[in-house]
Amino acid sequence: METRQGNYFEEFEVFSRKTQSSPIQYHFSLLAPNEDIAIMMAQENFMRREAVDDIWVVKRRNIRKMTAEEKKTLQRIDNKDYRTTKGYGYLKKKWRKYEQGMLDEKEIMSWAGGVKNEE
Amino acid sequence: MRNESLKDIAIKELLLQLADDDFIHSYRGAEWLGLAPHIEEDVASASISQDTMGHAAIYYKLLDELGEGDADKLAHDRPAKERRNAIILELVNGPGHYMKDPDYDWAFAVVRNYFYTQAKAIKVQSLHSCSYEPLAEVAQKVQMELYYHLMHWKTWFVQLLGSGHLEAVSRMKAAIGKTMPDFAGVFSLGQYGEEMVELGLIEGEAVLQKKWIEAITPIFESVGLAATIQIGMARGDGRNGQHTEDLEKALKTLSEVYASDKAASW
Amino acid sequence: MNVLLNDMAGEEKLNQFIARIEAGEKIEADDWMPEEYRGTLIKLISMHGISEIMGALPEKEWVPKAPTLNRKLGIMAKVQDEMGHGQLLLRVAEDLLKPYSKKRDDLMQDLFKGDLKFHNVFHMEAKSWGDAGLIGWLVDGAAIISQTNMLGASYGPYARALQRICAEEVFHAQHGEAIIMALAEGTEEQRKLVQDSINYWWESLLLFFGPPSKKEVGTSKQDITIKYKIRTSTNEELRQAFFSKYVKRILSLGFSIPDETLRFDKESETWIYQQPDWGKLKVFARNEGPRSQDRLSLRRNSYEKNKWVREALAPKII
Repeated sequence: METRQGNYFEEFEVFSRKTQSSPIQYHFSLLAPNEDIAIMMAQENFMRREAVDDIWVVKRRNIRKMTAEEKKTLQRIDNKDYRTTKGYGYLKKKWRKYEQGMLDEKEIMSWAGGVKNEE
Repeated sequence: MRNESLKDIAIKELLLQLADDDFIHSYRGAEWLGLAPHIEEDVASASISQDTMGHAAIYYKLLDELGEGDADKLAHDRPAKERRNAIILELVNGPGHYMKDPDYDWAFAVVRNYFYTQAKAIKVQSLHSCSYEPLAEVAQKVQMELYYHLMHWKTWFVQLLGSGHLEAVSRMKAAIGKTMPDFAGVFSLGQYGEEMVELGLIEGEAVLQKKWIEAITPIFESVGLAATIQIGMARGDGRNGQHTEDLEKALKTLSEVYASDKAASW
Repeated sequence: MNVLLNDMAGEEKLNQFIARIEAGEKIEADDWMPEEYRGTLIKLISMHGISEIMGALPEKEWVPKAPTLNRKLGIMAKVQDEMGHGQLLLRVAEDLLKPYSKKRDDLMQDLFKGDLKFHNVFHMEAKSWGDAGLIGWLVDGAAIISQTNMLGASYGPYARALQRICAEEVFHAQHGEAIIMALAEGTEEQRKLVQDSINYWWESLLLFFGPPSKKEVGTSKQDITIKYKIRTSTNEELRQAFFSKYVKRILSLGFSIPDETLRFDKESETWIYQQPDWGKLKVFARNEGPRSQDRLSLRRNSYEKNKWVREALAPKII
């Protein structure tokens, strides 16, 4: 079997997350011979002045990006109110007629951690 | 009363050892700026040198609070014979000058850094239960940054030795051979060592050394190195003011501007 | 479908490219771009990147000598940032070089051969602690003026790298100002350090922005970088901005500027100044400045000496 020397400078993309609940964020790319060295260099290269909770490094060749042509597939007509609460806003007025408040996003999200008993 | 003053002396001695070790180690690290094997590593290791200088500054500040004089003066204005750092930490990175034809050896940098960081982690761990409270508190903080330092240097150590690359392995082995004979100096507690232990400031030299050997043995084994670890103080004990010409030269450089006007504000 | 981009004729691609730039869109590494654009970016960004790497060296000389613990820490952090900026910029340049199969090693070799130039200021000597401060204050000040001018660059990866860089440059400028301020408020000798530094660096600072037009040195990239919306201002506009921001500050600390003709002309609202010796730019480009060869040799030395590390860790492909 033939062994040949690969490239010391492999490209890695670096991502991090600020806190446990924040989304992963992209930073930049760096060169490293392998992922252990890449992760060891990531914070000091791109996050030395900010707090981070987690870091990911990914070999660039393992990232499938979109081509310019494929990016065209991302376009949509702005007519999809039926998918969002915006399309159902009229319910607020309806419920008012029945002397009830609307169970809107704000109300529903406030149920996290339990709902207070009420009559 | 006598006990009290002996305690004061022991505390100051220990702080000077800790401060001087980190100060000169960081100085040698800083000489590598711009010269590391690749740019990303240059940036990463520069943080470690900064952290380490930061630790020295914290220890000097504790000494300042004990009336030993201002931290900058302690760092810049003490002759070699008053320095307490271990000799292995003052040795040059290699022949040449950091500005002209430096023949620096990355293998020696990796070995010295890995050995020292592991030793420092063990000492700092021991300082968690230091009877001198301010030092115990500082040890907690310093430890936070050592996780990264240790991961960094251990990764280099293991990867270079485990690379199977002939030159890398032989350079690394040579660097280990160069570091071991003086490395016991890092564990030396100097002439007040017994008092430090009796006063509950830190564990004894033998205990610290044993823990260090226990920590590095599995790493040695993982890269197929015989784990007969023998360290000594071939060039003397830096804790007692014994030093090499390397330190003299370093002190001259690092205090050049400071010494040009000691009274000035810089 | 006959509207696929790769089926478009060259001219159509170019028109669409120009239209995107005109509309303020960002061009990304994988997007189609005209050769002239790619070539201009490669020249600009690889020189910018390697200048950061070479620019770390003059200040590095003062890292061990910095006079207090705090100054030692500050200048270490600054040199680290310069290397970090080099890292960001070289990554951007390396991605642009993909079609030519050129990598970081090739950029380093280009530097050693003298094909890849580095900025004029980094060929100069950093003789004193005053110079270390002045580099932070005025050289970085000049760099901030030229770099912020490109923050809106049409090339997305460059604009993003600059965003990171400029944020850190603010720290650099203040680090430099802090050193200078301490010296300015210090002893006569300390003040002299600053005055000597201003005298030594002034011409380099003017040269830094490049010639006002083609006629001074024969070539100039400024028109092309403006055409492609990589930057917005001309060399001369940037130099004028530098005068506007820094002349007053230098004078306010009681220092003088080595140019008796320097004055603001109210009529034309421009600074009148003694032209530097533009021929020196060519001297630096040939790596014949006071410290060109020493710094190149330091860089080459570290690259060669550590070759075994890169070889040892290169993955083995079976």
